[in-house]
Amino acid sequence: MTKIAVVSGKGGVGKSMLSSSLCLYLSQNQKIAAVDGDVDAPNLHLWLGLGESWDEEKEISVFEKPVFDLEKCTGCGKCAQICAFGALEMKKGKPSLNKFICEGCGACEEICPVGAIKMKPVEGAKIRIKKDVGGFPLVSAQLYPGQTGSGKVVDEILNRAEHFSYQTMVIDAPAGTGCPVIAVLKETDFVVLVTEPTPSGFADLKRALGVVDHFGLPFGIVINKWDLNPAYAKKVAHFAGHNFLGKISYNQKIFSALANLEPVMTTDLPTKQEMKKIFLRLLDRLKQDC
Amino acid sequence: MVDVKTVAITGGKGGVGKSTVAILLANKLRKEGKKVVLADCDVECPNDYLLLGQELNKSAKKVTAQFPKLIKEKCQKCGLCVEKCRSRAIFQAPGQYPIFLEELCSGCGLCWHLCPYQAISIKKKTIGEIFKNKITDNFYLVTGQSVGVVEESGPIVSQTKKLAQELAEKMEADYLLIDTAVGLHCGVIRALMGVDLAFAVTEPTPLGAHDLRLILKLLSILGVRAKIILNQADLGAKEPIVKIAQEKKTPIEYQLPYSKELAKAYSQGKLAKINIFS
Repeated sequence: MTKIAVVSGKGGVGKSMLSSSLCLYLSQNQKIAAVDGDVDAPNLHLWLGLGESWDEEKEISVFEKPVFDLEKCTGCGKCAQICAFGALEMKKGKPSLNKFICEGCGACEEICPVGAIKMKPVEGAKIRIKKDVGGFPLVSAQLYPGQTGSGKVVDEILNRAEHFSYQTMVIDAPAGTGCPVIAVLKETDFVVLVTEPTPSGFADLKRALGVVDHFGLPFGIVINKWDLNPAYAKKVAHFAGHNFLGKISYNQKIFSALANLEPVMTTDLPTKQEMKKIFLRLLDRLKQDC
Repeated sequence: MVDVKTVAITGGKGGVGKSTVAILLANKLRKEGKKVVLADCDVECPNDYLLLGQELNKSAKKVTAQFPKLIKEKCQKCGLCVEKCRSRAIFQAPGQYPIFLEELCSGCGLCWHLCPYQAISIKKKTIGEIFKNKITDNFYLVTGQSVGVVEESGPIVSQTKKLAQELAEKMEADYLLIDTAVGLHCGVIRALMGVDLAFAVTEPTPLGAHDLRLILKLLSILGVRAKIILNQADLGAKEPIVKIAQEKKTPIEYQLPYSKELAKAYSQGKLAKINIFS
């Protein structure tokens, strides 16, 4: 069983397009499971041609926040002192919580000498499952706006995806390099990094690589929209060296296909052939590295 | 007391042009004779400095976080720290010393407060750096950037915002613009908290529409006034975005057409010179 994560650092460079295509490509010959790790703004289902209909939806709580018994509270202020995130302050002798920056660590509950604080679960996200997307399952989640803890939601959906039998799991990671990306990478065997030929894309690729290297993971690099700046694409390909997996041209028709919920791999766009080439090289790399 | 107006540029979806719009807005305000501080609060992947042809050299400030460090001589291997850690950042094999996994640790400090043997000391580590770049006399860029593998980047965002706020007050700026990261996570929430207005940047695709709904919901929960900016407005179907704008009673303030000149300036780090908003 191999887990492949599609990562980028910079947002909007084509992670979900590539992930969805990889799922559809691999599923022709093997059992796969698809996971949308971008729980803030999940889009993989749209790229796979699905609407918002799910076979299973379940609210989960990955997070607890403190609830205060103000009658028990003596106003000692120890909870506000221990809070490392500045989420608690004393107002008129009683603790006041900024729920948006609370990390749910539970330090205040533990430190309260009179037991006036209890950590209570918060419904923070919804797990959504489509059991049969043309032969494979998709596990996705939506973090409720205003809630935190996306890394823990990712942990949860990766666990849930294990209930399905698969040879390869494809995980579409969120942008950035923070906790949900770390949650994906610590479970991953191989990383596909997607970038675009701009200084921003390249800088963010290097930042994402910093995290990938931390976990010592083998990786390959794909350049999307390479023809927007061929010279810069060459520079990035050179940087990638033997980890270069291939390039994809810019094609505006992809968005018309997307608007009709038509996955790229079911179209006749040249993008499809470009991606097939990339996937063949990826399969070779997987044989060597995983 | 200087009254600096704080405006955030956000969007939920990645690659819709948040940073580009932030700089174009700064350019527009400068043209009107305003003083502007731009804070790049996408601390995991800050790009505004590249679009402005700048380098991040010497940091103006370091952001530190606290992490636990085991004092082996004192540790009795009782496992209390492992049991109480909600981040599951402490691992202990049977009969062994606990191991702290920094990439999962939020630095909450509970373990060292609770350890009955005072066997955990506090280690300060730099998790972020803040840079200050002067673009012109009336335009400063403040950039927050995480250092290494950082589980919890929220504090870097808050510190970046604070430093930018202080600078804006000192130079009597008219506007503080805050460029946020993608998504809705804690780093975005911290960047958006307390701003006077937020522009939600989107694109005319189903993905843009999907994520626009999410970011508008977040802004409404945070009590932040929102306006929409539709980028690359001519490259797709606008209707879904217009529908959301009407439904949520949120105006579309600007529609930016796709522009080759803009794309070129973007990739050459010359966005400071472009004026599109009128």
